[in-house]
Amino acid sequence: MPVYKLHYFNNPRQGRAELSRLILSQAGVEFQDIRFAHCEWPAIKPTTPFGHVPILEVDGRVLAQSNTIARYLAKKHGLAGQDEWEEALADMYADNIHDLLNAVAVPFVEKDPVKKKELYQNFMRITIAPHVAAVEKQLKKNNTGYLVGNQLTWADLAYYAYFSDFLEVKFGSAFLKAAPRLKALIDRVKALPNVQKWTAYRDATYPEDKE
Amino acid sequence: MVHYKLIYFNLRGRGELARLVLHHQEVAFEDFRFEREEWPKYKAGTPFGQVPVLEVDGKPLAQSNAIARYLARQHGLAGQNEWEQSQADMYVDCIYDLISGTRPIIYETDKEKQKEILQKFLKETVNPHLEKLEQQLIKNGTGFLVGKSITWADLAYYSFFSPMTERFGDSVIDNSPHLKKLVEHVANIPQIKKYVETRPKTTL
Repeated sequence: MPVYKLHYFNNPRQGRAELSRLILSQAGVEFQDIRFAHCEWPAIKPTTPFGHVPILEVDGRVLAQSNTIARYLAKKHGLAGQDEWEEALADMYADNIHDLLNAVAVPFVEKDPVKKKELYQNFMRITIAPHVAAVEKQLKKNNTGYLVGNQLTWADLAYYAYFSDFLEVKFGSAFLKAAPRLKALIDRVKALPNVQKWTAYRDATYPEDKE
Repeated sequence: MVHYKLIYFNLRGRGELARLVLHHQEVAFEDFRFEREEWPKYKAGTPFGQVPVLEVDGKPLAQSNAIARYLARQHGLAGQNEWEQSQADMYVDCIYDLISGTRPIIYETDKEKQKEILQKFLKETVNPHLEKLEQQLIKNGTGFLVGKSITWADLAYYSFFSPMTERFGDSVIDNSPHLKKLVEHVANIPQIKKYVETRPKTTL
């Protein structure tokens, strides 16, 4: 088994490293979950390939970019899809989440509480609601309970991380009322023994994000 | 013989990388383009209300990088092994971030403000990236981003920096001799040259 070292900030606790942590946890693979304080970043930044984190060290070689890292790990550990077409579909869903993470960054970093609330409301209405409807349609079409094929892939973990572990925690489940299949999927992922083990460990070990 | 239909605006933008992959490997495809005004007609038919979409024998795939990666892997442009494939993915992700960074510039109508945003983008985002990129190109030592031969990552850098220099001047990559050489190399590949000469002329 290779030695995996995943490097990311300690805050946000989840952020762009969480998908890789979930993939490794679901696959039952050990990894070093390295988290550093923001004050350490100026010293770490020049050592990274492109001045960003997360980065993944694999037996000393370094990979950057959150979805590249997640895809590499998913492929290595049986969570990428069962053929090349399924791999492409999983990539598509992971890219959707990547876009949604970029989009939510705007309200997330807003400091004015009134403006922040408005930005989040607009975000849920203009960006999230149509996407939820579109994904619900795809889930209905695929008709297996999973986003891709007939078993769990990193795409399902990505949607769980964003819609359950982030949006649902923040806003409650009302926004999923018209999306029973998406809700069932993220609940199913949430209930996976290895996912539960990971989130219990994470919540006990790392303090909640202050937002 | 698989039928590919690539659906996108009549622009380069986020559709161009897939087109370059297919043209480089000389794979036939239906290059379906529509004008901006026609978008409402096609939007509802897409999986997530966005283009590009690639139909593979009628089955839809969305997301520009998922599409280009699938085509690169199907047609031998993805990298020679798992690690190289991931390295290529990483570079293409970097370009994705840069493309996103150009949006405020492209949509700014005030010329003075546009110039300001562009300068900020070049200084704070592009130039630091190019410094790192030059180091990576030197380290790899083959002229290509990944391994010993061309991958879709090289096409991605050409696809981004060629319009950038076209629009904002050669100075964008003047301080990056290895990238400059790579972009020129790609531009001179016969299949790419032929495609560029014959494709519709678009601002973006």
